Amino acid sequence: MNLSSSHGAMTSLLTTLSHEYLQGKEEVLRLALVALLAGGHILIEDLPGLGKTTIALALAGSTGLSFGRVQCTSDLLPSDITGLSVFNREEGHFTFLAGPVFNNIVLVDEINRAMPRTQSALLEAMEEGRVTVEGVTHLLPDPFMVFATQNPSDQSGTFPLPESQLDRFLISTGIGYPPEHLEKGIIAGGGIRERIGEMATIATAADIQAARRQVAGQIYLSPKVVDYLHSIVLATRCHPLVQTGLSTRAAISLAQAARAAAFLEGRDYVAPDDIKGVAVAVCAHRLGMRPEYEAAGKGDVLREIIAEITLPLV
Amino acid sequence: MIRSISGIIAILSYAIALCGILPLFPWLATLPRLLLVGGLLAAFWQDRRGAWSLKNWILTSSTIPLFLYYAFQFNRSNAVQPVVSMLAVMLTVRLVGEKNGRNYLQMYALSLFCLASSSLFDLSPLFLVYLASLLLLIALSLVMLTFHAHDSQMVLARQDLRRVLAAGVIMPLVSLPLLVFFFPILPRTQIPLWNVMSVPISRSSGFTDKVEPGGSSSVGESATLAFRAELPRQPQQQLYWRGTVFNQLVGNRWVRDPAVPAEVIRYGSPRISQIIFPEPGRSRFLLALDSPADITFLRSRRYPDGIFEMPGLSGRRQSYSAESSTAGILPVVTKVDRSFYLRLPETIPARLRSLGEGIRQRGGSDAERVQLLEDYFRKGNFRYSLQGLPTGDHAIEQFLFETRQGHCEFFASSFAIVARAAGIPTRLVGGYLGGEYNELGGYYLVTEQMAHAWVEVFLTGRGWVRVDPSSLAVNAGGVWNDSRKRSLGLRLRLAIDSFDHAWNRSVITYDFERQVNVAQSAGKRLQLVSWKQILRASIKPALFSCMMVVVWLLIKNRHRLLLSPQERLLRRFYRRMKRDTVITVNRGNRQGLFEIAAESGNEKVREFVRIYAGAVYRDRQFTSSELCRLKRLIREGFSSQL
Repeated sequence: MNLSSSHGAMTSLLTTLSHEYLQGKEEVLRLALVALLAGGHILIEDLPGLGKTTIALALAGSTGLSFGRVQCTSDLLPSDITGLSVFNREEGHFTFLAGPVFNNIVLVDEINRAMPRTQSALLEAMEEGRVTVEGVTHLLPDPFMVFATQNPSDQSGTFPLPESQLDRFLISTGIGYPPEHLEKGIIAGGGIRERIGEMATIATAADIQAARRQVAGQIYLSPKVVDYLHSIVLATRCHPLVQTGLSTRAAISLAQAARAAAFLEGRDYVAPDDIKGVAVAVCAHRLGMRPEYEAAGKGDVLREIIAEITLPLV
Repeated sequence: MIRSISGIIAILSYAIALCGILPLFPWLATLPRLLLVGGLLAAFWQDRRGAWSLKNWILTSSTIPLFLYYAFQFNRSNAVQPVVSMLAVMLTVRLVGEKNGRNYLQMYALSLFCLASSSLFDLSPLFLVYLASLLLLIALSLVMLTFHAHDSQMVLARQDLRRVLAAGVIMPLVSLPLLVFFFPILPRTQIPLWNVMSVPISRSSGFTDKVEPGGSSSVGESATLAFRAELPRQPQQQLYWRGTVFNQLVGNRWVRDPAVPAEVIRYGSPRISQIIFPEPGRSRFLLALDSPADITFLRSRRYPDGIFEMPGLSGRRQSYSAESSTAGILPVVTKVDRSFYLRLPETIPARLRSLGEGIRQRGGSDAERVQLLEDYFRKGNFRYSLQGLPTGDHAIEQFLFETRQGHCEFFASSFAIVARAAGIPTRLVGGYLGGEYNELGGYYLVTEQMAHAWVEVFLTGRGWVRVDPSSLAVNAGGVWNDSRKRSLGLRLRLAIDSFDHAWNRSVITYDFERQVNVAQSAGKRLQLVSWKQILRASIKPALFSCMMVVVWLLIKNRHRLLLSPQERLLRRFYRRMKRDTVITVNRGNRQGLFEIAAESGNEKVREFVRIYAGAVYRDRQFTSSELCRLKRLIREGFSSQL
């Protein structure tokens, strides 16, 4: 296994963050790292005050990556995200002022409050990895990862993301309340926003890029594991509650995420467990439920489906 | 080859319709016959064209006049024909009309009815063949129709088709044991329910209740079956089947006077036992190998001259057993009414009388006179023939002195007349001579063309001696010789006949009496058997069934027996986990290995899973060191105390 150097950086990143700064958020952190390593983006859906922003800040702070933040409101314009050209009177030409999207980690807070035009500009940037403003194409930095959050409870004055745009997020997950003893500790210790600013860099951008390359090229995906993945996809397509099952892109995303998860586990091959471990986060938000079953939790349906499928064990 | 399901159903349906039509066809009137043939052709033509031009409602309404016609024809004396005709018409309509699933089912039911109604006319073993194929085809069609109802455009690949066919064949086969079980229990009929009256009684040549030579100039031979006799093979010259005795000459006709004078015959031994299966409705006389000492037949009547008669003619198939002594001589203990067996009418031609008188004067005893008479026939250049027979009142005279050719009746009749004229008590015996032995069934097949007449003369001190005047003909050797080779056709016929015999014996004549007999004898045999016998008899079946069970288990568990090393290892791992930890593993293979490892929290389990999964999910075999390590881990166990 020659995953050692970059893998070591990543695991120490994960353990430091989850043990020292963000207790009880291990799963979200793991998923965020999966998204980062697979080159995807993450959508965190949960109530305010559970540490969405903190996670993004901590991730940026511990990796030495640049961090940008967009607070979405209904009057936010696309140029507020991408940046705009301003006429420089002294030099006599337009100069491009880069928007917050030109950062390694971009926190898009309450993405569903932005109007569809703005959402779509952002999502385009996420998909393409570049921004075109006034005929000039500007490449986004590498690595580039969007941390979008949305509040599921407060629906007034929002523009919910259409399914096609939800599909752009590799992972969508909640955070949940921390366990009781941890929460008490957090209450006693107070917030950690201040400490995040003083965080030492654990992994560099170069580490992340190396890790990304390994995830993309050196994690072996066995045909029987592909069969397993495919049987999950097929099962979603014929489940009675589900109207539109997983697309091929969803299946590709699942494979990518599974590779990243395997990498984080320190393996150079994907085990069915890896797929099981990321499937709900990768796939649940892509399921289209039948209108009459809209209320059923997508995650629960998916968990039910996965529980029915036998794993390849030999 | 890929066939559409509707095509398969069409073919099956034609086969089913044919299975219903063919057995009924011979018994139908002309109109339904024509309709059926036309209907089949029309259906086939429309099928080929793929268009059904005739609407079902038109067809159905057009049968109403026919229905009315047949309804008016229906009465007590003619009950079956209209019904059967109507069945045929309805089947025709279903054949011609457009077909959906329901129509197909109706067609199958009608075909089944047609076949069933054919048993009103005839109980031939072919019925079984038709019924078996019909049931098989219907089972197959029902499977196909289920598919068809699901998707009418369905196309079956060859492999699928084979599977479906196999399933369809298995269904009737599975019911076979039930059939075997019900066969001895259920009541049945021995005669065709409707066709009782039309048992053929008339026939061209063969055994009759009178002997009248000179009736016609030639006799046609018929190969109609007369009876079958189960007994071991006998010498061909002993195969005289005694039917009746003609003891009185009336004009030119030998008849039987039922007032037979009393005499007591002492039958010699050895006796040959036989079981005779006569064709029903032929004759009241019970046939047996000459001469039967005893015949077991309910309420049969025995005459003093060794003739047995059944109480009345019946259309039922029945059989009887007989004990015969084949010496050719019937020793008589008491005196014989000589005058009764010497009676001759006054109208006997003078030439016959003088011939008899001459023999009487030349011979010193009856035995010598018989010898002289036989010499007369032997030297007289008589020929056995069925053609060019003398006719009229003087037929016997012409045969004896002029044409000198005739069949057995001429020989026997003339011999008997001359013998009586010579003062020898004589009587004529009617029966059969010869028989085809069927090795397959172990019985003699006797046909009507083997009907024969011969003579018995009474010699004081010896008894009634059989004399066959026909054997004195110059060409007797050629006619009676059995050395001719059996042709392939004859052998085939004998083989088919043995099947027919088996059918009659074990199916048609299997009646209540036999059911009781079987039950009784089974009970008796059960009382007799000892445990040792049962054990000895059951060893082979028991061994066989054990073997079958073993084979079945092997097949069922072949996955376990032919496990890959990974699978075997995984099973051992699971077993070990079950023993050593509290975790429930292998919940239908729905638990990942790493999940198990995480749940156990045991470093050894983790190591096992790491090594195992590292090979399995990288699609490579274990290295020998990995295998050793894995096995050691399992041997050492995963209990947390270690």
